[in-house]
Amino acid sequence: MNCPLYIRSVPTQGELKFHYTVHTSLDVVEEKISGVGKALADQRELYLGLLYPTEDYKVYGYVTNSKVKFVIVVDSSNTSLRDNEIRSMFRKLHNSFTDVMCNPFYNPGDPIQSKAFDSIVSTMMVQAC
Amino acid sequence: RCPQTERAASTNSELFTLTYGALVTQLCKDYENDEEVNKQLDKMGYNIGVRLIEDFLARSSVGRCHDFRETADVIAKVAFKMYLGITPSVTNWSPAGDEFSLILESNPLVDFVELPDNHSNLVYSSLLCGVLRGALEMVQMAVDVRFAQDTLRGDNVTEIRMKFIKRIEENLPAGDE
Repeated sequence: MNCPLYIRSVPTQGELKFHYTVHTSLDVVEEKISGVGKALADQRELYLGLLYPTEDYKVYGYVTNSKVKFVIVVDSSNTSLRDNEIRSMFRKLHNSFTDVMCNPFYNPGDPIQSKAFDSIVSTMMVQAC
Repeated sequence: RCPQTERAASTNSELFTLTYGALVTQLCKDYENDEEVNKQLDKMGYNIGVRLIEDFLARSSVGRCHDFRETADVIAKVAFKMYLGITPSVTNWSPAGDEFSLILESNPLVDFVELPDNHSNLVYSSLLCGVLRGALEMVQMAVDVRFAQDTLRGDNVTEIRMKFIKRIEENLPAGDE
């Protein structure tokens, strides 16, 4: 079941090609989490780091122990974004996602329409660009 | 000592918040009408209030209030603190001293809650109105309690308006609604 619950991009045009990038990156995510084995089984979260570089983008992945996958795609020309900043972005996303799950009106599996989640993502994207 | 009093005084509030959320959403599914859900929540709150007052009086040892102002202070500073861990402020007294507002900066019942667009008439925390009404009825006060402002519906704060209606005669039994 790999349908996206949430996709957001800045600038918003060309969003379709991000859908494609993210979808292919999921294969890499699956590869990484199935190959992990006992060494990382104790970790509660899996920051997967750079999944694969393309010409134009760097794609980072993160998967929770509940198998929810987060993917961040950054322009290759952005060299100022450091690894620990990406980690912190994933942590914020994970926390916001947990809050969305706790909304009694949200049905797990539905697309995310939370204003609070939107504003966390907006702030993060502004800071990253 | 009985097991309930030996348990830790503070427990994680998320289970409480999620339980209330499950209750509200189930009512929404069952009744499919926001006004009806508000009424049901108020009724449940009333049934909680008429029982909770005993626990409150036993644990807080407050004496009989001399006037409505004292009642307001006890509700805000003792009761809300004891059961919800928050201390609303008491403001907007009517000139006659029979009506006031409780302003809640935060409310554990609504943590993480975002009302969907199709529930614009839902007063999510209606349970609280019933609790206050039921509790005060058991100490011979008939009051009207309603939400004047609600952060879930876009207001900056949550405001509960409480109005004193009349004293209740002691010999009338209060039953479940």
